[in-house]
Amino acid sequence: MRSAVLRANPLAQLSIGMFSLLGSFWIDDLDVALLALGVYAVAAVLFLPGWKYPLVCLGFTSIAAVTIVYSTWRLGGHDVEEAFANGVRIVVLAWPGSVMAGYVDPTRLADYLAQSLRLPARLVAAFAAAMQRFTGFGLAWEQLDQVRRVRGVGRTRNPISNGRYAASMTFALLVQAMRGASHASIAMDARGFATAHRRTWAEPADWTRLDVMTVVLAAALGAVAPLLTVLA
Amino acid sequence: MRGAIRLSDFTWRPLGRKAPVVAGLDLAVEPGERVLLVGPSGAGKSTILHGLAGALGTTLAGELTGTAEVDGRLGLLLQNPADAIVAEHLGRDVAFGLENASVPRSEMWPRVDAALDRVGLGVYGRHHFTAALSGGEQQRLALAGVLVLEPDVLLLDEPTSMLDDATATSVRQAILDAAGDRTMVVVEHRIGPWLEHVDRVVVLSSDGEVVSDGSVASFLAGPAPAGVWMPGLPTPEPLAVPADLVRPADALGVTAEDVVADLTTRTLRGVQRTRALDGFTAVLAPGTTTALTGPSGAGKSTALAVIGGLRKPTNGRVTPDLASRRTLELATSVGWVPQNPEHGFLTLKVADEVARTAGRVGRSVDAAAVLDVFGLGGLADAHPYRLSGGEQRRLALAAALAHRPSVVLLDEPTVGQDPGTWAAVTGWVAAARDAGATVAVSTHDPDLPRDVEHRLEAGVSS
Repeated sequence: MRSAVLRANPLAQLSIGMFSLLGSFWIDDLDVALLALGVYAVAAVLFLPGWKYPLVCLGFTSIAAVTIVYSTWRLGGHDVEEAFANGVRIVVLAWPGSVMAGYVDPTRLADYLAQSLRLPARLVAAFAAAMQRFTGFGLAWEQLDQVRRVRGVGRTRNPISNGRYAASMTFALLVQAMRGASHASIAMDARGFATAHRRTWAEPADWTRLDVMTVVLAAALGAVAPLLTVLA
Repeated sequence: MRGAIRLSDFTWRPLGRKAPVVAGLDLAVEPGERVLLVGPSGAGKSTILHGLAGALGTTLAGELTGTAEVDGRLGLLLQNPADAIVAEHLGRDVAFGLENASVPRSEMWPRVDAALDRVGLGVYGRHHFTAALSGGEQQRLALAGVLVLEPDVLLLDEPTSMLDDATATSVRQAILDAAGDRTMVVVEHRIGPWLEHVDRVVVLSSDGEVVSDGSVASFLAGPAPAGVWMPGLPTPEPLAVPADLVRPADALGVTAEDVVADLTTRTLRGVQRTRALDGFTAVLAPGTTTALTGPSGAGKSTALAVIGGLRKPTNGRVTPDLASRRTLELATSVGWVPQNPEHGFLTLKVADEVARTAGRVGRSVDAAAVLDVFGLGGLADAHPYRLSGGEQRRLALAAALAHRPSVVLLDEPTVGQDPGTWAAVTGWVAAARDAGATVAVSTHDPDLPRDVEHRLEAGVSS
């Protein structure tokens, strides 16, 4: 069951994030907020193949949540409960989607965007190729890091020089990305992309029972907050 | 008829270069003709292919005059194959062009599988990660993506430069089978194996002008043009490089014992582990050159990275333990030339690039003399990214080794070099070895001088 999320199609995967976003609009007190978040946490434990990545995403969304808590508390009459309800709402809004986005295969997402949602083919194919370049960035980063280390300008124990190092690596990766992008666009155009206003797709965009069940689960999870609010 | 190529008064000056790379070039290729385009490094060979692909003045910035026209569907293989990858898995990557051509799905997959088989990547299958391929394997993947389209015009920029002889032979055959009676323009430095398969040889000078254009027979009968690997001629002598430019401060041997190295390609959707080295053992002594050879994907680059402490082995031992060294300590002893030269540049000027590491480790370096050895003297003020592919590879070498390290490691250093620059590269390697450096080279170039050879096959010494 814990690898099912990997087999669901990208739109079904992303529907979890979409429903969490919609559901979060009904959150207006802390109890509902915590319950909704709790349900997503249980679902994460039950259905996700690993726990590290969801926790990292939770960490990042929590940073956003903390700023919301503080500003709501500061500007909203120092009401602690309302401040926290707002903070948790942001986590419910963003966390499930940010986790699911990581499991999406860009090529397969393109298949579904074009074939199920009928989005313009060129746009979708360009998007998929652009997303693919992120994988390449990981490899390029590794090599840039190796080169810097062996040339005496790598990471050190000094935090100030490490700041400079991070800046120079980021800039180098940016340069690589831009140069790579122009070569990639030459290569893509030479493979017929320049003139492909209509295109076919190598894999179908099927909807299996698992996909449907995933969307149903997504809707159920998203419905927790509105239901609780209505019942209260 | 489809497949004709016409360049008239074709001139290209890239942004930031004073002189044009190609000036006033006229060239016509008839449909079905097979042309070999040769010339020294920096002569503008790749520029011509870029021009035919319509990339000059649009995707690449610069000043273009004249025209470059291709009639029919184009298939272009670029020099750096990593840039051509568009999908996570091999199958989808090859299918990209077919999708663009609106080929129906039922027809698509048999063609994709056949193309992967043709270039020898069929063993991996459609679902192998593109990120898990070696340099030579990426080159073959890019080629599969071109061949699967059955284009009217094939433009191939060094299609076998990163492959060992056996793989190159089968890939060349795959290209020729796919080319059939289509138009083909091949740029390659090692022209020998291509000559019997082409109709015409066009030779460019270092200024980007046509110096000869005719049949293979007339090319072979004529005088040997500068900067071209003429078949039958002896391998050039490595250039005599002054020992002062390469002499290391001390001698340092490296031993690898039973090294296992796993390369992991990890995404949230799955993990692919490739065992790049499996029980690799080598003793590298000061004053010797060790060549790591074998087919593409055999683990040559990984072996080099493990020796130089750039990658920690998964298992086994490397002495001294360079992998634990901090950056300055490592740079003091080790110089490493990466396969992709652009990853190696740290500065905005060619001359600064050469002096950079020496400055870090507190050694003086005669940057002008180093650049002269590599024929880059006139480009001291140029931006590293504005150089040609072959020039960049030489600069990467100079930048990595100018500080006279004790351990000299080079990843495919002779790819894309003409005889003159080849002599400079091999001369530097020989001089470093003679001066007492420990030299290791991953290479498929049989002419590169060596003392010891470790042939790798699927990560195992054979």
